[in-house]
Amino acid sequence: MNPIRLIAADEWRLMRRNRVAMLGLVMLLALSVIAALTSIAQRDNSDAIRARFQAQADQAFDGAPARHPHRMVHYGHFVFRPLPALAAFDPGVDAFTGNTIYLEGHRQNSANFGDVRQSSLLVRFGQLTPAFVLQALAPLILIFIGFGIVARERERGTIRQLFAHGVAPRALLFGKALGLGGIAALMLAPGVLALGWLIAFEGAPLAPSLTLLAGYAAYLGIWVLLIVIASSLAAHARTALMALIGIWAFTVILLPRIAPDVALATNPTLTRLETDIAIKEDLRKMGDSHNPDDPYFNAFKQRTLKQYGVEKVEDLPVNYRGLLAVEGEKLTSKLFDDYADRQFAAQKAQSRFTDTVGLLSPAIALRRLSMSAAGTDLEGHRRFLSQAEGYRFAIVQQLNQLQATAITYDDDSNRNKDPEAGRRVRIDPKNWQKVPDFRYQAAATGEKLQAALPGMLTLLGWLVVLGFGMRLAIRRLADAA
Amino acid sequence: MQIIVVDALIVERGGRRVLDNLSLTVKAGEIYALLGGNGAGKSTTLSALLGFLKPVSGSLSVAGVDPASNAEAARHKIAYLPENVALYEHLTARENVEYFLALAGEAHGPEEIEAAFDAAGLQAEARDRPLGGYSKGMRQKVAIALAVVRQVPVLLLDEPTSGLDPRATADFNALIGALKERGTAILMVTHDLLGAADCADRIGFLDNGRIVEEVACDQGYDVMALHRRYGEAVAA
Amino acid sequence: MTGLWRHELRLFLRQRLALPALALMALLSIASVWAGMAEIERQRDTIARIQPQQAADVAAIAKWVSVEGDAGNAAYYTFHATWDEPSALAFAAIGQRDVAPYILRIRALGLEAQLYESENYNAELALPGRFDWAFVLTYLAPLFVIVLLHDLKSGEREAGRIGLLAAMARNQQALWRRRIGLRIGGLLAALLIPFLIGAALSGASPGLALIFIVVAAAYILFWAMLCLWVGSRGWSSVTNAATLAASWLVLTLILPALGNLAINSVVPVRQGVELTLEQREKVHGGWDKPKQETMQAFFKAYPEWKDTKPVEGGFHWKWYYAFQHLGDLAAAPQAKAYREGLEARDRWTGRFGFALPAVGLQTILHRTARTDLNAGLIYQDRIRSYHKQLRRFYYPYVFNEVPFREADFVKAPQWEHR
Repeated sequence: MNPIRLIAADEWRLMRRNRVAMLGLVMLLALSVIAALTSIAQRDNSDAIRARFQAQADQAFDGAPARHPHRMVHYGHFVFRPLPALAAFDPGVDAFTGNTIYLEGHRQNSANFGDVRQSSLLVRFGQLTPAFVLQALAPLILIFIGFGIVARERERGTIRQLFAHGVAPRALLFGKALGLGGIAALMLAPGVLALGWLIAFEGAPLAPSLTLLAGYAAYLGIWVLLIVIASSLAAHARTALMALIGIWAFTVILLPRIAPDVALATNPTLTRLETDIAIKEDLRKMGDSHNPDDPYFNAFKQRTLKQYGVEKVEDLPVNYRGLLAVEGEKLTSKLFDDYADRQFAAQKAQSRFTDTVGLLSPAIALRRLSMSAAGTDLEGHRRFLSQAEGYRFAIVQQLNQLQATAITYDDDSNRNKDPEAGRRVRIDPKNWQKVPDFRYQAAATGEKLQAALPGMLTLLGWLVVLGFGMRLAIRRLADAA
Repeated sequence: MQIIVVDALIVERGGRRVLDNLSLTVKAGEIYALLGGNGAGKSTTLSALLGFLKPVSGSLSVAGVDPASNAEAARHKIAYLPENVALYEHLTARENVEYFLALAGEAHGPEEIEAAFDAAGLQAEARDRPLGGYSKGMRQKVAIALAVVRQVPVLLLDEPTSGLDPRATADFNALIGALKERGTAILMVTHDLLGAADCADRIGFLDNGRIVEEVACDQGYDVMALHRRYGEAVAA
Repeated sequence: MTGLWRHELRLFLRQRLALPALALMALLSIASVWAGMAEIERQRDTIARIQPQQAADVAAIAKWVSVEGDAGNAAYYTFHATWDEPSALAFAAIGQRDVAPYILRIRALGLEAQLYESENYNAELALPGRFDWAFVLTYLAPLFVIVLLHDLKSGEREAGRIGLLAAMARNQQALWRRRIGLRIGGLLAALLIPFLIGAALSGASPGLALIFIVVAAAYILFWAMLCLWVGSRGWSSVTNAATLAASWLVLTLILPALGNLAINSVVPVRQGVELTLEQREKVHGGWDKPKQETMQAFFKAYPEWKDTKPVEGGFHWKWYYAFQHLGDLAAAPQAKAYREGLEARDRWTGRFGFALPAVGLQTILHRTARTDLNAGLIYQDRIRSYHKQLRRFYYPYVFNEVPFREADFVKAPQWEHR
């Protein structure tokens, strides 16, 4: 056997006899298994509930009785964001974003009923998911197992003995790294099994799953190298332990919390209320449909009359009120899109800032990679919001068109005075069934991988830097011996 | 005058009899060396004198105080030098002495401390350096200075010369010789027979918790014979 | 004895880890107080900023509504701003204020469709949690306690000084008490002084600030006791440090996460979605039901409008507001169940707090700072009663068919600034 493998095997034997190390490892593995099982069950359950609610909402819409189409515009629709299969591995921001939106005419409602508002403050301690276990807990357990991996040998003087027996410092460090890496691989095992299950039985996409796996492997690899380097550079095992816990607390706990504060302060976004008021204000500036002399809507009227070659709206072959509704919705929807784009741009800038901080913290970089590959990042929620808005616009305009074509202007104008007209404006409910159902389009694999790339590059960068760190540690070890 | 009196002392630790009917005395101005191998009961004797453990039976007296019933008062009479004099590395010699004096609740002026350093032979320029860079001999000098300034009647030494080079050992012997002249009762435990023979007034051989033989210097003895008899057990 | 304290202080501060640890603790405490105050300042600014915008929005609506003077239009188009003022101590424990809306506009239509609106916030930034003083205290301060106390005795033992210390000290207990006192005292000072300055600047009541201080001290003391207990086992410094850090991991991360998992499965809440679906069906079903049926049902709740002019024709605002309200009434059982579910979750968290110091600490801090789930529910209660006031304000205009003029807009009940 070559010396590296020999040293790794020796390390494993030692760990097997180390009660504390075994306890930590068993605890972590148990937590991983619990996290994987509950997380998969929870994902399936949430997704099933959302699918059931979606079916219920679709059924309610399709089964609505004969109504004036504008009533259906206000009856509106509910859409639910499905949970991707990989959310069982990393639910990302799912709990922090609403998963259902009520869609109605000329209003943009928020996505509601996110878990975070429905939970006590316990949820802010972190959710027990495979991602959380591997991102936050595994490195700490690795630290407990490995902080003395080299320092211990030096403190006991066994390191000189090893060198005297012809073991090269290089072989020693790589052997130790291999030994600790084996433990890290064991820690990853429940996650691998969970991913395998998700791919085999829950339709998780292959390439993003493998990206997740590669990302977590690289992350744990970074910690293995950090621990081996710190343990060989530190004068005492205790110094190594303190330094490593410090690094862990700083990069896994502290930085991820400080970065958002700075990002929020440097890139403030408008509140919903302000956006709401601003959109109303912009609408009033563009044209006031309540004002009979409004220049914008007068111009629209003239344009419409000219297009159909008639003098009065009453002579139009279509219901002018319907056309007005289509035009009005176009205006509001354009503004909704504009403001949403601005909001998303600001949020993207915020997230980009934290990504930059991620250069200092492998945990932040891994989280970016993990959420992106799992499709549970903010981008996934943004896709849902913008698809929901697109869907809202499509169904509202379909209903407005129905108002323009299926109802006469005369009936529409007299629907509240003349009961007969009031009955005629209630059109055939079959029309509701023609409105398509909402189908959320998840990001394509290529997009997910692209979004995961910066995180992956950061992790690889760390590995390269730590490679140099290993060289330094080897040189120092050779000098000291 | 008998300063240290140990009489028929029995001490048990974990059900094992560590000191079995031990008796010895040390007079003022006398150096008594207690020789023995590992596990003979040397450290236990010191611990009992310092009041760290309660004897099963027998009596103890340190300058008239029973450490078993009044440990604090007994410690007040004792200066103790552990095998490795461990003081605070990041404090200077002077600061260490000041700190431990404060711990013992004793107030002494800077002149007294200066005089004690002189008596202990610690170079003037070293007194304000952190202890981190000190050799074992220098650390011992700091501890001796502490004993000198406290003017305690009893000095307990645990393996004082192990790890000292011959020159430092000679210095140390001169130093405790001077303390002896001041009337201090000195009890040292060691396994270095030749070292003990160089400075001690009396030597007691401890084995299995009891004194098996006691020799006095003024009565003359054959060091080589003792060495043949006890050398092996003592070195173990 | 002051001399001894001075000696101990010198000894402590010269230690390699001591001063940096205390300085870092103070720095983190200052930074968290500063960040928390900045965030709360931002929230206060937002509340102040929306007032003129809101006034301008109402004025613009008043301009065209008052031409016809239709009270139904006034009630339909006018949104009324509500806000949840941060308490003076919110800066130290921001809690749920970053994910629950603290400003919300409502109008006199069905409330259940408006009450659960959420705020536009960047979920990726909210995910890790805020960097506030409560975080520094809950998560980071125990690590500092561990750094300062894990080798209290074992360090002396490993340095070979323990015997000498024991032999020299007149009172050993007092020696260790002094050392612990200095470390914990220094740490508490580093932690609490920035908080106290922040509390004073924010105008917090001394009584509430005292609650913070007492629970913070108790929490630190818990960790100190744990350190001493582990230290008394006679293990090496390394073993002590590893054991204590592992305890920290279990007590502040693993057990709370397991607790959350347990609570969510014991108390599922999905009534939120159910109640909005139900409310919508009821409200929009109202359009298709005979008008008299709707009105009779409404008069049961509001008999004072029974004798006003009956509803005729295809549409009347009376009828419209009646079925809006009936929608809320229909969803009331689900709304109650939803709320009870949330309260049950909160209660369970409180129970966990008795067993888990970190959870108990967070519960008390956020309850005191009024930034917890419960504070959000209280805000919802206030919105409910404000919504009732609003309806009571509009109903006389709508039911008595009194014209609504520009001057009437300012008569609308205003949200009470707490």
